[in-house]
Amino acid sequence: MARKAKRDLTIEQQLARGPIDLPFLALVMLLTAVGLIMLLSASYASAMYNLDPAVNTKGDPLYYFKRQFGFAILGVVAMFVISKIDYQHFRWMSVFVLGASIVLMALVFVPGIGRAVGDARRWIKLGPITFQPSEIAKIGVIMFFAARLSKRNSQLGPPKKWSKRTFTGRMAARLDRVGLLELIPYGMVLVVVLGIIALQKHMSCMILVTAAAASVLLVAGVSLGWFVAGGVVIGAALWFIITQTDYMKARIDIWQNPLSDLQHGGYQPWQGRIAIGSGGLLGVGLGNSRQKYLFLPEEHNDYIFPIVCEELGMVGACVIMALFALLIIRGFWLALHARDRFGTLLVVGITSLTAFQTFFNIAVVTGVVPPTGISLPFFSYGGTALAIQLAEMGMVLSVSRQIAAPKAE
Amino acid sequence: MQNADHKPRRAEGKNNRSLFRRTIFLMAVLGIGIFLPLIGQLYKLQIVEHSQWEERAANQQTKSVSVAASRGAIYDREGRTLAMSATVYKLILNPMTIYSSVSKDDYKDEDGKLDEAAYEKALYDLRKTIVDGIVDLFGYDEERLWTRIERISSGYEVLYYELEEEDAEKAREFISKNKLSVGLQLTPSSKRYYPYSSIGSHVLGYMGQTETSGENKVGKSGVELGYEDALSGELGRVVTSVNGRSQDMISGYEMYFDAQNGYNVYLTIDERIQAMLEQTLAEGIETYDVQAGAFGLAIDPQTGAVLAMASSPDFDPNNWGTILSEELQAQVDEVAAEYGDDSQEANDAWKEAWNKQMRNRTLDETYEPGSVFKPITVAIGLEEGIISLDSTYYCGGSKKFPGVNDPINCHKKGGHGEQDLTKAVGNSCNVALMDIAEQIGAETTWKYWNDFGLREKTGIDLSGEEKGIFWTEDHFKSINASLELATSSFGQRFKVTPLEMITAFAAVINGGHLFQPYVVQTISDGDNNTVFYHEVQEVRQVISESTSEKMRGILESVVANDSGHNAYQIGYRIGGKTGTSELLDRKNEPGYNNDVMCSFMGFAPADDPQVLVLLVYDTPKRSGPGSSSTAGGTYISGGNIAAPMAGALIADILDYMGIEKQYSGDELAGADTLMPYVVGNELTVAKTIIQNSGFECRTIGTGNTVTHQVPSAGVSIPGGSNVILYLGDEVPNAQVETPDLSGMSPTAAKSKLEETGLFMRATGVVDYTDPTVVMAAQSVGAGTMVSPGTVVEVRFVSSVAYGDLNG
Repeated sequence: MARKAKRDLTIEQQLARGPIDLPFLALVMLLTAVGLIMLLSASYASAMYNLDPAVNTKGDPLYYFKRQFGFAILGVVAMFVISKIDYQHFRWMSVFVLGASIVLMALVFVPGIGRAVGDARRWIKLGPITFQPSEIAKIGVIMFFAARLSKRNSQLGPPKKWSKRTFTGRMAARLDRVGLLELIPYGMVLVVVLGIIALQKHMSCMILVTAAAASVLLVAGVSLGWFVAGGVVIGAALWFIITQTDYMKARIDIWQNPLSDLQHGGYQPWQGRIAIGSGGLLGVGLGNSRQKYLFLPEEHNDYIFPIVCEELGMVGACVIMALFALLIIRGFWLALHARDRFGTLLVVGITSLTAFQTFFNIAVVTGVVPPTGISLPFFSYGGTALAIQLAEMGMVLSVSRQIAAPKAE
Repeated sequence: MQNADHKPRRAEGKNNRSLFRRTIFLMAVLGIGIFLPLIGQLYKLQIVEHSQWEERAANQQTKSVSVAASRGAIYDREGRTLAMSATVYKLILNPMTIYSSVSKDDYKDEDGKLDEAAYEKALYDLRKTIVDGIVDLFGYDEERLWTRIERISSGYEVLYYELEEEDAEKAREFISKNKLSVGLQLTPSSKRYYPYSSIGSHVLGYMGQTETSGENKVGKSGVELGYEDALSGELGRVVTSVNGRSQDMISGYEMYFDAQNGYNVYLTIDERIQAMLEQTLAEGIETYDVQAGAFGLAIDPQTGAVLAMASSPDFDPNNWGTILSEELQAQVDEVAAEYGDDSQEANDAWKEAWNKQMRNRTLDETYEPGSVFKPITVAIGLEEGIISLDSTYYCGGSKKFPGVNDPINCHKKGGHGEQDLTKAVGNSCNVALMDIAEQIGAETTWKYWNDFGLREKTGIDLSGEEKGIFWTEDHFKSINASLELATSSFGQRFKVTPLEMITAFAAVINGGHLFQPYVVQTISDGDNNTVFYHEVQEVRQVISESTSEKMRGILESVVANDSGHNAYQIGYRIGGKTGTSELLDRKNEPGYNNDVMCSFMGFAPADDPQVLVLLVYDTPKRSGPGSSSTAGGTYISGGNIAAPMAGALIADILDYMGIEKQYSGDELAGADTLMPYVVGNELTVAKTIIQNSGFECRTIGTGNTVTHQVPSAGVSIPGGSNVILYLGDEVPNAQVETPDLSGMSPTAAKSKLEETGLFMRATGVVDYTDPTVVMAAQSVGAGTMVSPGTVVEVRFVSSVAYGDLNG
């Protein structure tokens, strides 16, 4: 397809061809590159010893790295392609992305397609690729919320006239005034998505979806009272789960003292802390981790950060956290400067999601919060997750194209 | 941008401000805020707690294998090696890796289906190679090996603990030839050798495993136990880096910490004296049919150093798990034959026998010392000035105590009559001793018992020591205890350990010094630097030098003239005291037949004691119920059984120690003299030379010039011997037959030997006028062909019954 001359384009189309935000792109590429290097270092041992019974690495120490590298290239390509799309198209796409993710998540429970590890059914296998549809659900929810909330003020039609004669009418009018009625569709979407994820026993994903959705709702201007109310409800639920169920109580105990039960979950956090602690200020040097030699399980997945801490020390870990912080700050900066409300909300959602995921992963492995399985963006092994992450970054870059350049002095 | 068809619900500006504020808020929280606790936690883990995490990491990332330290050797006082360690090898089977080394994956076809039969066969073949090899090489029980190799949950089955180098080499060859290093390993360990086997076994102790020592062997008794820390040294370590499965890392580092070898220990024990003592015990047991074993001690009375310490039955520390004594083993076999090999009775019998042989009775058992104790009582009396050498005592055969019906009898029913102190001790008169004790009184007696160290452990550097058993102090000092005081004067009704007895006795004869006995003289490191030297420990001065000197005189007289006469040896000034202890506490045991322990405590030379010996024979067998002698006709008493054995032993020890003999006037005539060279001289000249040397001579052949002489010049023979001068063409016989001297008196034996051209060196009781003295043993057996001029040593004993038993 021949590229149209600029003069033939509509204003909208011209805006979509603006320059992408280079600082954000640079941070994404940097994190991807550093993440790949650390994955190579961390996965070397378990690939060589062929530890994971589900994967046959054939003793190739570069096995995980090669696969991740391939997906990284795929992801970067996807990122550029998506950044070229006029993000206004994401408004209509959002419905389909959300719908598709719900269908895919349902497929997890279909024998033959869905795959289970332990009692968690989270994966589906399509051809050679295995991935978690909940990854798509996260972006689906963000896109849908952003698209719908961006029309909150202007495009939702005239305010509904409630009959003041009937009791129900008066009640509805009152609820509308406090802003409950407008939350109902979002609530329903969240209930459906979280319900399916709960069936997959994917607690960490529920946290992330809830947090990202809450961020979008917050920025969209939903009354703060609802966040207070939601916070109270979630807090009460957590309190109940932690104190009243043995399962969570055991996890909390292990969190407080991993040595108390090394057989049932304490081993990994303990080994993770040994890795972090033994790294010290400057670390044992890139590639020199000892903990990756069969001591620390999942060292190339959720527990990659302890290997980073061990090899690069506190200095290296802080540099990497600084890169994440800069990416997040730049993300919000882009959100503030987005051309419209949809762009703002979309970037806020994606950036918040990345931020929460980063926080929870590092907080879990360092023992700040109780253990739950959350991977570290750009670092943890998982090709499709990396590709989807990069695709999300592509969305942010797409929004960045339409930011108006500052007027020349 | 905005569709203006509808009126905005809220003011646009307010809305944008809210969006701006809330986005800034999120940016602050998510971009900065959330990282603060993370950095805080990293600071805590990586900086504050860094060292402890690093230590935990090092602990799990490294494997430390201990390297055995070479255990120090034990030497006797002359540097003879009594115990040493050598490297041996443990052969370890690893059924787990043998099992896992045959991978099921290798027997799967393309569909992943396992060829069960092929896999099973491969595993079987591998195991069979190992089993056949081990059975073939070392004769391991095949069935048992199959059981062990199939324990796939085990990674550590020790097949042999102590393979010597030769066998280890065979095993190494087998392993490398068949590439079995995953399943079979050889690791070096150490084995203890005792070159003199059972000699000194109770002092040396033995090595074994304890609950805490694991596979390592540690000292379990004797010096091996008491000096464990010095001997064992410190384990070394090899630290290697490992992965999470404890496998060595290919590129890991290794660090070595050298093992600190154990120190060498030099004992006061002399292996030769020890052997002599054990030989003496064994001979006595054999000769007098001793039923319940024997024990003995030889110490240096001037220091407390133990020269020899023996208890029979004993054991071989190389092989301490077996019963060494044939008699004991026979008893066990008897029980086993009656009840079955695995019966409780057989096990108990074995255990009892084993316990018997492991006991060092010289320090872990108390006994009633009997008359050997009398010198202590006399020394107390002399030291306190209550009695003197001039005191006289009358023995009418018994002593009566007020309020007691039966008098206490002396061993001589008719009584010893009037006797001075020296004679009273020489007679071992119980009545005299009871009189002395009465004069001394309970108060003073008790004080001296404490001073002589009888009521506490001696503190010897060996474990398992017991201490004396006495009445309570209140009872002994009370008015009701006159009988106790009386019997205690001759060493009955209380118990001490043989070691306490000899230590106290040493103080009686050495000038009054109570020394702490000890067996370890020096400890030195591998470079022969002394790290410990035992200084003589004097506990206290108990009696004065002058009292001690008197005691030496009395005790020399006991041997020279009286009940200790069987210990007499020409040229050795031996002093001592006999003892025959009743064993009343065994009265109710089956087979009790007035059992006694026959003992002798002797020292020499009497003027300057260099060695003090205690011999105790437990229960020589009586020839019948009520009989007073053994089947061989020897009267059962310390003076007849222990004294002759002790006399010979002391003479041997003095010879070995190179202590010059001292002869009295009478003895000098019989002392060894060098034969002069007289061949070629005229007969008269030769005779003069011979007579000047203290010999007599007879001639064979005719002529005037001596052509040969027997013995040759320079040979040392007893003075007064009748040497042979050959005249003319006569030559000495090449060989002569040693005659049988059994039952002969010294005079008869001497002439019998000289008739055949041999010479006699008499030992023991040599009294040419006493008709009761008879030959007891000859050094060259009857009928043996020897060269003419050979000196035959003949031991004589007195057959007089030397009673010294009370009651």
